[in-house]
Amino acid sequence: MLYRVMDKRELPALVRAFMESYEVVAPVKRGSGYVFDVIGSPDEIELDYTQTDASPKKYLMPSTETLMRFDAQMNLVDDFTEQVTPRVVFGVHTCDINAMNRLDIALIEGKYVDPYYQARRDATMIIGISCVPGDNCFCHLWGADEAQFGYDLFLHDIGDKYLVSMSNVEATNILEAACEISEATDEDRIAFRQATRARQAAFNKDIPDVQDVAMLMDVFHSDPFWEELGSRCLSCSACASVCPTCFCFDIRDVLAPDGKTGERVRTWDACTSPGFAAVTGGYNFRPTGRERVRHRMYHKLNGFFVNHDRMLCVGCGRCVKACKTGINPIEVLRFFKRKGADHAK
Amino acid sequence: MQSNMPRGTIEVDALREAPQTMSGSEMLLGNAYRPWPARITSMRDLTANEKLVEMRFIDERVREAFVHEPGQFLELSLFGVGEAPISITSSPTKQGFVELCIRRAGTVTSALHSMHAGDIVGIRGPFGRGFPVDKFRGNDVLIVAGGLGIAPVRSLINYIHDNRSDFGKVTIVYGSRTPSDIMFRDQFEMWRHRKDFELYLTVDHPDDTWDGEVGVVTEPMKRLDINPANTYGVVCGPPVMYKFVVQVMREKNIDYDHIYLDFERHMKCGMGKCGHCQIGHQYCCIDGPVFNYWEAKNIQGSM
Amino acid sequence: MGAFSLITDAERRVPRVVVVGLASCFGCQIQITNAEPYLMQILGQIDLQYWQLVTSEDMPDEFDVAIIEGAVTTREAEQTVRAVRERAAHVMAIGACATTAGVTGMAAPGLGGRVGEVYEGAAPESSGELIEPRPVSAVIEVDSEVLCCPIDPMDFVAALQRVLFGSNRLPDTRTLCSDCKRNETECFYNDATLCLGLVTRAGCGARCVNLGRPCNGCAGLSPDANVEAARMACATYGVDVAAFDKALEMFNQVNPALAESGDE
Repeated sequence: MLYRVMDKRELPALVRAFMESYEVVAPVKRGSGYVFDVIGSPDEIELDYTQTDASPKKYLMPSTETLMRFDAQMNLVDDFTEQVTPRVVFGVHTCDINAMNRLDIALIEGKYVDPYYQARRDATMIIGISCVPGDNCFCHLWGADEAQFGYDLFLHDIGDKYLVSMSNVEATNILEAACEISEATDEDRIAFRQATRARQAAFNKDIPDVQDVAMLMDVFHSDPFWEELGSRCLSCSACASVCPTCFCFDIRDVLAPDGKTGERVRTWDACTSPGFAAVTGGYNFRPTGRERVRHRMYHKLNGFFVNHDRMLCVGCGRCVKACKTGINPIEVLRFFKRKGADHAK
Repeated sequence: MQSNMPRGTIEVDALREAPQTMSGSEMLLGNAYRPWPARITSMRDLTANEKLVEMRFIDERVREAFVHEPGQFLELSLFGVGEAPISITSSPTKQGFVELCIRRAGTVTSALHSMHAGDIVGIRGPFGRGFPVDKFRGNDVLIVAGGLGIAPVRSLINYIHDNRSDFGKVTIVYGSRTPSDIMFRDQFEMWRHRKDFELYLTVDHPDDTWDGEVGVVTEPMKRLDINPANTYGVVCGPPVMYKFVVQVMREKNIDYDHIYLDFERHMKCGMGKCGHCQIGHQYCCIDGPVFNYWEAKNIQGSM
Repeated sequence: MGAFSLITDAERRVPRVVVVGLASCFGCQIQITNAEPYLMQILGQIDLQYWQLVTSEDMPDEFDVAIIEGAVTTREAEQTVRAVRERAAHVMAIGACATTAGVTGMAAPGLGGRVGEVYEGAAPESSGELIEPRPVSAVIEVDSEVLCCPIDPMDFVAALQRVLFGSNRLPDTRTLCSDCKRNETECFYNDATLCLGLVTRAGCGARCVNLGRPCNGCAGLSPDANVEAARMACATYGVDVAAFDKALEMFNQVNPALAESGDE
């Protein structure tokens, strides 16, 4: 990976340069937390954020979007064009970059390309930034604490400077035009190594590191644990809304008030929604919280892994905060840890 | 979606704008969420609740590019009402037309029941992995269907019929609730009469007209003489049926991966994205809906 | 199933619609008028035969779609909705009173005594024969609902269109919190503030929370609400569980699911 070094004081100049030709969104403070939002000035950015409450996936797959317009009377498609706002998402952590890479697998790799996601992904530049893990972070368990690809620039914090990984020509041109960048010195390299070490050491050691999680998901699939965990589910789907890799959706037709034309829209849905797996006639393949919560965890910690060799969970920890009844992957890891204790029955 | 658009453009054209340079498969796959108009060419009652609907794509390129395998499904679209996944019930050997067996069950199917020949519907697809007819070729096939489960397997039955000499002994066991719920009976009876197939019809609730077998499909199955070395099993029906039918097939020593099951789930997008049809780690819509029993056993929550 | 077959079937009749008001503030009928820019378009799609709020005529005997606002609080109202059910192909309940018994439902426990608190002696004859307030669905089968107090005019328009033209959209039964996460509004529980979004049916888009107010549950308890887990959440986040139960009474007093879990 090509890399250079820039002085931290030049960051506002870089952001302003992006703002000239892009809408720039970045973590900003809201209430007691952080959100990704459009900024009017580099001063609004809070790069020290631990985690935003919701993920930046909303820029690649909005919670509701139009798929097409239609003429309901003729039962035909009408013309529909949407120009996606060219956008820079600034200050993205590795968990979210890895999450977007997983969304790419689900939505644009394989036989069917999702043209809506693709268009937004194409129009979006990702500027990553290194972070210090918070108490709920466990990205390191799934290898999501590093971003190999999926960003345009990545800023590694090395004290007064950033070590910048550069993977996109356009972003590099903007960087070079806006900032003084230099070759890294040995001192910078040492600083980078120390930063990675400090980060590694900062992970919450109370979160168990369990081997063979995907297989354990199969082995303990019928354990009473799932009844216990699932019986706490509020059926609110907050977990899926904040999750950076939940991409499930519903498709709905919305008629205009005249009843003649309308839009086919898609809107986020979740396997924890009670009717998600119901078929016409009412039969529900996952009728209770037990099956639904287990399925969600199974998809995050087994299903995607089996098909794509990486966990769908990236360990961002958002669901840990969002779920009011404490249903999250850490609880699953703790359950496996209990099963592995010497005195476990 | 066109490649010459500026990056980040989402565009869905009305049919009249579809560029002449686009091929049929580009039209079907470029934006697979977009239905293409098809005209209903005929509609006839199969039972009080089920109709056989024949459709034909209006655009010739789409019509030619839409080639399905027996067991695949499509998404039927009535704009304003919504979409429904429907098994294709015609054989791919019937070219230019698509037949669907529509039970009046949900809103889309009810609305379709009130439509007429000449009306336009939207279709996208075909989706999913159908029956591996190439594997079946040269072998005996035991087809067991219950209720509306006959719809997807009729595609297979018709396909086999149209290529009859390619297949060995073909046995159809078809269970219905009542005699008046039996679909395609005339066709099947005729083929039985011509010794094309062995046919066993059963009903749960007989009426005065019924002199055939009463009970579950596993009863006639048990009496069948099967050569497990060259027999493929096919099962499609209501969720409760699978376990029992598979059990009998296993008792007949048909191998795990020679038993093919057609699953029903809520296949909303049809292309492995929306998640509604997930079974364990698989998507019923792209990995299935046809799975062999070995695969099914490897999927958590499949049966 | 909708009444849409009426307009797609051979006779292609424009559906005849009546709007009936029971015990309520009639605010939801007012809300219909607030769909102002679209009223003419909507009226073009139906044959509006009766609207209690705007007419002194009697309700006609024949109609296809009945829209009911308000809770059933008297024997007379009970008979009215039964009669409506017999005639209508589709019954739509609108607003919290019709769908949950709403605020009127708060009078249900110890109804007899409450009458005495309001009136000296028995209620006047014009009140009718009072019964414990209940939602329309407790008396007859309801085909569709528009939730909240009051209803949103455009929700009503959309619901009416689903009746007229059919829709395979399933009603959401999940609870509200997911909407706050989409809206990226701060959770009241972070600040130990009671909010009923934990158990209240989604669909409104968390409108009140967007305006800085906790959910008061006007969409009613979700059929999939997990009240026990929500109480646990309250305890975890320092919200008084008794206050949570009390707050639920405003729109869910007569919900049998709540009565069951409350008795535990």
